[in-house]
Amino acid sequence: MNCDELRDDYGLYALGIADDPELSEIRAHLQRACPACVPGVRSARELIALMGAAAPAVEPPARLRKRVLASVGGRTASRWNWSPVWAAVAAGALIAAVVFNIRAQRASTELARTGAVLRQLEVDSVSQVRELARLNEAFAILNQPNVKQVVFGGGAPQPPRGRVFLDPQRGVLLVASNLPPAPSGKIYEMWVIPKGGKPVPAGLFQSAADGTAVHVVPGPVDVAGTAAVAVTVEVVAGAQVPNLPPVFAAAL
Amino acid sequence: MLLPLLLAIEFGESDADLVRRLQRRDPRAMAELYDRYGRLVYALILRVVRDGGIAEDLVQETFLRVWNRVQGFDAERGGLGPWLLAVARNRAIDYLRSAAGRMRNAVELPETEHPALFTDMEKELLNSDRVRRVRAALEKLSKNHRAVIELAYFEGLSQAEMAEKMGEPLGTVKTWVRTALKSLRDELGTAVTA
Repeated sequence: MNCDELRDDYGLYALGIADDPELSEIRAHLQRACPACVPGVRSARELIALMGAAAPAVEPPARLRKRVLASVGGRTASRWNWSPVWAAVAAGALIAAVVFNIRAQRASTELARTGAVLRQLEVDSVSQVRELARLNEAFAILNQPNVKQVVFGGGAPQPPRGRVFLDPQRGVLLVASNLPPAPSGKIYEMWVIPKGGKPVPAGLFQSAADGTAVHVVPGPVDVAGTAAVAVTVEVVAGAQVPNLPPVFAAAL
Repeated sequence: MLLPLLLAIEFGESDADLVRRLQRRDPRAMAELYDRYGRLVYALILRVVRDGGIAEDLVQETFLRVWNRVQGFDAERGGLGPWLLAVARNRAIDYLRSAAGRMRNAVELPETEHPALFTDMEKELLNSDRVRRVRAALEKLSKNHRAVIELAYFEGLSQAEMAEKMGEPLGTVKTWVRTALKSLRDELGTAVTA
């Protein structure tokens, strides 16, 4: 098909609803960087983006910003972020103490304070790296084309709810909300329950203060042989046999 | 020494600068990204799933996906807002299809959100004037034409699924979709040349 014949299908392609033979034809034209179809499809994508922006305006709840930022290890207090300023102040205080040899007592106090700040920044950095590694594992599962997805807690008035993703090679990912932090001395434990078998421990986790939780268990999992994924409350050391009843269970 | 840093934090930056900071894995850049696009993303997802709690889950998933894939995004030439909205729409429609037990759309949706697809888009595409014009153009569509556009965009229905839902022949639905898209293009004129 030539470009003129495909022109009316650019919008359908950008919407994701083009059918063959036009779909295959547009793909082929884009594959060879067709000078008419590439800008045509790009303009169609612009129109589709504008449709999304034209959805009725709604203000998201304030907690959502905190939740999004917390999930990538960011600070959440306000748009004004003081951490770079603190880092600069700490560095400045150190240089001043060394170069100008201010009175010993004052220099000592400053060094102790700036040292504490730097140590805190180091701790933050390490925890951010860990969090990123965990998120990368989570996305490795999410990005698999054949990942099995199970929704739980959808219709109930106030339970935890969310989704479980299972990929045979990458592992199990749990994303939950409405899950209050486990009480002091307790922790959540996830269980993968095989068909006709006993629950297998699948890691401990705690939910955030806003009731959200992301838990990843990397590694192969027998998706076809799994009946359900469940979560119980256990003592902080975890358990080998689950307490009943579970907080929630997602049946495959 | 601090002044440029403070000005950058307080007064924002271009999308290209923001993308570069995201690519350097700066979590503070995520705050800026959310402040810039969080409302649009939430509004779009809520329109699709019509449940505030689920919308919050999917907004979080959208921003995480962007954070995870931003290395493949062209900071200089990419359209950040359109990409975010495409990812958001796909997350929401994926949820709808999954919740309704419909087949996951394995081909078309990923094909609409790859970062490379958003290069050379018009800068400042999502400005308020254009958005107003799109809203007005959508309202001017006939009832059936608006219905097919909304079913395709907000519910992710294929043309065959729309035909079944509306009880109309597939050929009729295909004509409506094409005509509706053409009407939108004509109405928007040079703003969008699709």
